[in-house]
Amino acid sequence: MRHMVASGHNSAGLIAQLRRGVLEYCVLAMLESEERYAFDLVRALAEATGMVTSEGTIYPMLSRLRRDGTVETTWSESPSGPPRRYYRLTVKGSRALKEFRDEWIRFRDSVDTLLKGDES
Amino acid sequence: MTDKLIDRYLDDLREDVRDLPRRRQEELVAEIRDHIDSALAEMPTRDDAGVRNILERLGDPADIADEARERMGIPKPKAGFRETAAVILLLIGGILIPIIGWIIGLILLWSSPVWTSRDKWIGSLIIPGGLMLPFEFFFFASYTCSGSDPCGPSGLQQAAITLGFAIAVAAPIVTAIYLARRAAALSRD
Repeated sequence: MRHMVASGHNSAGLIAQLRRGVLEYCVLAMLESEERYAFDLVRALAEATGMVTSEGTIYPMLSRLRRDGTVETTWSESPSGPPRRYYRLTVKGSRALKEFRDEWIRFRDSVDTLLKGDES
Repeated sequence: MTDKLIDRYLDDLREDVRDLPRRRQEELVAEIRDHIDSALAEMPTRDDAGVRNILERLGDPADIADEARERMGIPKPKAGFRETAAVILLLIGGILIPIIGWIIGLILLWSSPVWTSRDKWIGSLIIPGGLMLPFEFFFFASYTCSGSDPCGPSGLQQAAITLGFAIAVAAPIVTAIYLARRAAALSRD
């Protein structure tokens, strides 16, 4: 959130910061029902959201989530390729996701109402 | 060839994250390497085009490094007093305090997070001592040739000495300008 203030007059910068913030919760949401290994998670996130132009930039975010304790990882052998690092949501992570979901719906609805205001 | 492309990509990444804490550097590079290996394992054949595509999707290593800094709250290193002092001391430090002044410049150069290792090698090797050598030479030559006896070298020798002297003066100055411009460019957001 601290990033959002800095680029107040720059809408491209604002959108970038908004994406960066929201993307974390997209990852948490993708881990809600199943655990996934890093490569799969990164590819799926890039394809699902269309918000990621550089897959490599997702790794620093995953590292951040690990340190925040919203996700945890385990290593597991893979039939092909290197050992896989599996990501799963922690209790803290699912609580953060729930809070964000409620907040996001309220936020989205009120912004939508304001943006559509002139048309109706 | 495919391995060379991957090695070059990972080397670029290592260079771009050089200012991050060591453990974070290693962790990030290992994750990106695993990503590449996983992507390769999914490819039926390992060819140049496929590898290029994987690296392209990963994106510019500099962008990954910027994102890592942003997520860790680490500001991008900016050129400041240390870099200014390094450039000045590498150039004329050896004149101010013989040899030691240049060595201090060298230490500042290598301890700076701003320059890449390539820049640092250029700064160290062109030319050790900076302007100290041509300065001492000029001083020494004018000293020995003062007096009434003609002691000058022949015309050809004179030309060679002049050329060598010109290079010894110009090279460290060009290097100093190069280092200053690189520091400014690398400090830009």
